[in-house]
Amino acid sequence: MVNKLTAIAKCYMKQQVPYLLSLKGFNPSLCDEEILMIRVANLANFKKLVLSSLIIFLFACAPGSSLTYFHDPQMDFAAVRSVAVMPFENLTRDSQAGERVRTVFASSLLSTGAVYVIPAGEVSRGITRAGILNPANPSMEEIEKFAGIIKVDALITGGLTEYGQVRSGNATANVVSMNVRMIEIQSRRTVWTASATRGGISIWDRLFGGGGEPMNDVIMEAVNDVLDKLFM
Amino acid sequence: MFSINFSCKPFNLLFALLVCLFSGCSATNNQTIRATDDYPAPEKKLLVAVLPLNNLSSSPAPVGEIRQLLMSSFKQQGLGILPDETLERFIIKHRVRYVGGLDEMLAGNLKYETGADAVLITSVDLYKENPPPKVALTCRLVSTGKNPEILWMDGVGLAGDDSIGILELSLIEDPRELLNNAVRYLSTSLAAYLSGKGYLPVSRRKIIKFWPKVFYRSPVFEPGWKYTVAVVPFFNLSENRFAGEIIPLHFVNQLLRSENFAVIEPGIIRHLLLQMRITLDNGISLAGSRALFSRLDADLILTGKVFDYQDFEGSSGRAKVVFSALMIGRRGREVVWAGVSQNEGDYGVFFFDWGKINTAHVMASEMVQSALETLVE
Repeated sequence: MVNKLTAIAKCYMKQQVPYLLSLKGFNPSLCDEEILMIRVANLANFKKLVLSSLIIFLFACAPGSSLTYFHDPQMDFAAVRSVAVMPFENLTRDSQAGERVRTVFASSLLSTGAVYVIPAGEVSRGITRAGILNPANPSMEEIEKFAGIIKVDALITGGLTEYGQVRSGNATANVVSMNVRMIEIQSRRTVWTASATRGGISIWDRLFGGGGEPMNDVIMEAVNDVLDKLFM
Repeated sequence: MFSINFSCKPFNLLFALLVCLFSGCSATNNQTIRATDDYPAPEKKLLVAVLPLNNLSSSPAPVGEIRQLLMSSFKQQGLGILPDETLERFIIKHRVRYVGGLDEMLAGNLKYETGADAVLITSVDLYKENPPPKVALTCRLVSTGKNPEILWMDGVGLAGDDSIGILELSLIEDPRELLNNAVRYLSTSLAAYLSGKGYLPVSRRKIIKFWPKVFYRSPVFEPGWKYTVAVVPFFNLSENRFAGEIIPLHFVNQLLRSENFAVIEPGIIRHLLLQMRITLDNGISLAGSRALFSRLDADLILTGKVFDYQDFEGSSGRAKVVFSALMIGRRGREVVWAGVSQNEGDYGVFFFDWGKINTAHVMASEMVQSALETLVE
């Protein structure tokens, strides 16, 4: 054992490759050709390590994103033909944030062509006439009243938990964190939920500065993430 | 024979630098102003009433001076201008408060009481005197009589540093000079239109950045058909309190240039909305659109929301425009087109401000045009 370790130490000094320890069953009595082969193998391992480190570094440079979702397995989503996107709950400092994200979400959902999205003006009329106090979290009775006024198959409610710039040291970047849920009108069940976070400060921003991606792009990415999970 | 030897590397570098400098200093404004263009005056001299200007710039603007400039410029192009005293008497008599549009009753009265053939409605969308100055004007000519129709419409947005030239020799620091350029463009455009040559050709940047970020077109919409559109004021969520009126004007302007659309005079729509007490809470409701369709001979209603419409003072800053728009069809009361457009003046600008757009007016114009291209193409 001591001999083996001494040989490894000598070899380490010789080759200057710190990954020699990965060699199992190293025998100091190996011939020159075998040592050469081992060195070549070590070099290949080293290259692999550098490459994988680079990939990890590049991934670390990308801004943060997270996504969680729920899909009701018993729900037939093809039966949902029209939806009403309710005003989003805005838990951020920007008073317009909820409406901005809601508009992008509604337009993106409509542009998929899979469902028909009721115009926002009509949704507002339904909310007023049904007397919904908190459109972001309507009660069962309120949903029933709303469905009596606006003929839709499902309601989409949502919330915005983060919207704006985040700062860390000298680096700043935009971030959006949103969640949405679909309530089927007939069964009053939540059949789909999804939440996504996009933007934030990447290692790239920390190292080289820059203000991150424009807010509008971050919104689009978050909305696309959420919609991807609806049509998966 | 004259030849240039490009083999010399320092010369190559110098040449490339010069090319960069020239291209960097090239005009960034989309309106090509050709002051020397001379168009023949229309056969019958139109008598035009130039309404007082509608100031949508959110800042004080010399509206009286701009009006005088427009009047003298249009006179030079061969238009007859209704005397100020006659117009003033009419305005006082009919208690005209709103000068951003013309409803049917007012158009009829104007025709029969003053004899004016058309009304020129002008809005000052932007006016900033701090150097470099910025000006944006939108003009439209509306016929008088029982059925007022938009005969011509155009807009211009200029900034003093749109084309600064070498060593900033072309930088315009005098707001009056910029104003004169804007008025000259509008009068040339009107003269060209009235002489039967149509709208002035505008050099456009067909850049992908102006395209709507998201859009939807219903399969029931037939791009080849001719539609009559009613453009309803947009729901304004921006800091610019007139953005809800400015963006619809861009839509009206661009829709008129398309052969597929006829546009109803916005003054008529405004009058109807007030008369029928239709509120635009977050956009028009289907009940509201039904009521409008019942009174208007329109196939489509265009509405939307404006989230950002901001200009900047001075030379550093960026213009920003974000809006969403949707069209509701008469048949089925369904959304036939919807889109979200968002842009900033320095998107895709990396070197020497090359390609930077200095006014929200120019940017909105490009964005609206690109949005409408997704509708008809």
